[in-house]
Amino acid sequence: MTDTKQASDSAVPLTPQPIGQPIEYERLLWQVRFSPDGEWLIGVGQDAKIVRWKMGAATDENPAGLTAADSLTGHNGWISGLVFHPTHRHVLSVDSWGQLACYSFADDAASEPLWKHEAAHDGWIRAIAMSSEGTRIATAGNDGIVRLWSTTDGAQVAEWAHGSKVMSLTFAPDGKSLVSGDLFGMIRQWNFEGGQPIRELSAVPLYQKHNNQECGGVRRLVFSSEGDRLAATGQKEPQGGFAVGTPCVIVFDWVTGNVVREMAVGDDKDGFAYDAFFHPSGCVIACSSAFPGKGPLWMWRPEEDEALLIDKKLTNGLSLSLHPDGQRLALLTCQSPNGNGRGLKDGEYLGGRSRIILMRLGTA
Amino acid sequence: MSKSPLCRPHEHRLSRRRLLGVGAAASGLGSLLSPVVAEELRGNDRQVLCIWLDGGMSQLESWDPKPNTQFGGPFRAIPTSVPGINLSELLPKTAQQMHHLAILRSVCTQDNSHSAGVARINRGDPKDRGVVYPYLGSAVAKLMGPTQSGLPPYVWVKPGSGGFKTDDAGFLGPAYGALALGDAKPPANLLPHSSLTSEDYQLRQELRTRFNERFGQRRLNDEVAADTSVYEIAQALMRRMDLFDESQISAKDTERYGTHELGRHLLMGRRLIEAGVRFVKVNSYHWDSHGDHFNSSDCLHRQFDQPFAALIEDLADRSLLDNVLVIVLSEFGRTPRINSHCGRDHWPEAWSVAMAGCGLQKGAVVGATNALGTFIDGQEHDIGHLFHTWFQALGIPQDHMEYMNHGQPLPVAHDDCSAISELLS
Repeated sequence: MTDTKQASDSAVPLTPQPIGQPIEYERLLWQVRFSPDGEWLIGVGQDAKIVRWKMGAATDENPAGLTAADSLTGHNGWISGLVFHPTHRHVLSVDSWGQLACYSFADDAASEPLWKHEAAHDGWIRAIAMSSEGTRIATAGNDGIVRLWSTTDGAQVAEWAHGSKVMSLTFAPDGKSLVSGDLFGMIRQWNFEGGQPIRELSAVPLYQKHNNQECGGVRRLVFSSEGDRLAATGQKEPQGGFAVGTPCVIVFDWVTGNVVREMAVGDDKDGFAYDAFFHPSGCVIACSSAFPGKGPLWMWRPEEDEALLIDKKLTNGLSLSLHPDGQRLALLTCQSPNGNGRGLKDGEYLGGRSRIILMRLGTA
Repeated sequence: MSKSPLCRPHEHRLSRRRLLGVGAAASGLGSLLSPVVAEELRGNDRQVLCIWLDGGMSQLESWDPKPNTQFGGPFRAIPTSVPGINLSELLPKTAQQMHHLAILRSVCTQDNSHSAGVARINRGDPKDRGVVYPYLGSAVAKLMGPTQSGLPPYVWVKPGSGGFKTDDAGFLGPAYGALALGDAKPPANLLPHSSLTSEDYQLRQELRTRFNERFGQRRLNDEVAADTSVYEIAQALMRRMDLFDESQISAKDTERYGTHELGRHLLMGRRLIEAGVRFVKVNSYHWDSHGDHFNSSDCLHRQFDQPFAALIEDLADRSLLDNVLVIVLSEFGRTPRINSHCGRDHWPEAWSVAMAGCGLQKGAVVGATNALGTFIDGQEHDIGHLFHTWFQALGIPQDHMEYMNHGQPLPVAHDDCSAISELLS
């Protein structure tokens, strides 16, 4: 699957190899995640459905072992994020109309939400995060409010004004604080008992005032498994009129707050780094998307000067998820053409589609 | 065309002399429109404020939302001041002014490129008769002339630089171009130098008038005539320097319109209308959201919503909306399909134009798109229909909808189109 640049031989063991044929989905999804038990792959996106695939044993006919199950419904607009409870087999999801909902995801048949708040926020919820022990979830979005909820019954337990559009959230490794990333490239750590800011980190290269528009923002925040590093994703320096720039991930030392590595990958039309995670080896794996065929997948050890691997064939990636076995990787890609005017196919006006590529990673 | 080896007036940068060209409309130079008609229209006090959103505003995030559909995007639709009519949640203030608005949701135009689309829409896309048609502002300046204010009939408030923009005028000639106020600022060097006394200034004007008259006797053409006859218009603008005095803007207006570029420019647009400019165009750029469209829209549409709603409210409160036609126009809408970097591309197939004011229905939606918002459901309307509608709303008599270009009769709008009667009051 890979081609392109390999700055180090150490990339070779991690090089992803496809497992079977990609999964096609008829609508655009934004995010895919493996469940904590590794038995489900779940995606959410523009059709307001929680789309499920059950993971079974691989067979010759189905090497990926994925079988589609009924989707869960009840959201509106776009579902913009999901998190799993670490043990309860619940998935919590948020949408662009302001709803937060909790579902049991592991029943074969589709079910109603266990609980939901139709107006958890005023408008687009951009981020949701789950505390490591599973007692709290945090939500935030365009209304600039951060809210904490009990995962037991959905009761709100805290809220505070953030002061700007929040685009990403994650709980800090200490279990006592929350970390937010906003449109303006600011990363803030909050004491979530009182909603007091503890400190700020600057990821301002990810924000741009471009052509009268507020562009960019911290699109995803992820900690390393050791909790010593934080990665913030987005784009740098959009060019021209399209607000499309260079994908970028900024990795911080969480203790000192210093930038360990700014990973700007690809050219100035490769768009946003939409998602990333830390591989247990310490390597950051990130995906990006822009024009069709643009936006690479890359792997980069923050302590090294160059990327281990930049794969320009695995393009238009919107989301990545590492299976709990640490060996399988799901890459969600966008299959939507650019183009002005009708662009009819067989007389039909088609929307964008999604493709999920399941891959196997070697050991580093 | 002038055979003089001298450079022509419109080849100069803007100056007081350049301003004179604008006034040619006031002079009723007469070769292109029946003097009788021009005289009738001059007494018409109707005005136009046209907002041009360059690059194309998404109809789905504004005037024609399709929430919870395949191409509807993430945003909600919200109710408006007119029961049954919803707009995108990105236009909350405008929604409260819906009872003044008329929205055409069945716009289907011909061009999906900027290079051709901008001119095609602005010129009304008439049949090709071998001439370059004027932009709407130049057409109105020609057809209606200036108001009694004596101010230039076509003023363009735009980001960036100003100047006298003759390209808009097409075959009407440079006199019907736009006086562009870059960033809503007055033309450079508009006022005489402070060392010049009013007496000396007057003497210079008299001398200049004599020179111009003699020069014009030997070179009769529109450009010379424009230069020699319309210093009064430049002087009228000089007498209205208060329009550019920001200290006269109330804190309340600043708050209501916003301090951002489009807010400041729309406030200037309102003040120019109040001062009596016949046609004011206000441009906003960078609406071409091929990438990260939904974040762009969340920013840009709100930048539009705040001052636009304030503008409509103000014009209505001051009873100006009875005489002022307000138009929100782009070269096209944006694709229903969301592309691979979360953008929307160019879409002339099914988009919307919002309007308000004189001669139009209030609180109305005309035309419709299908359930997915991909194509028009029912009668399609091209820009030619809209030009006919606007000219009729402005009171230009139906039987006088014709230019006379050196003996060549030219319809002012596409002859296969007609006014959209459902939009007219």
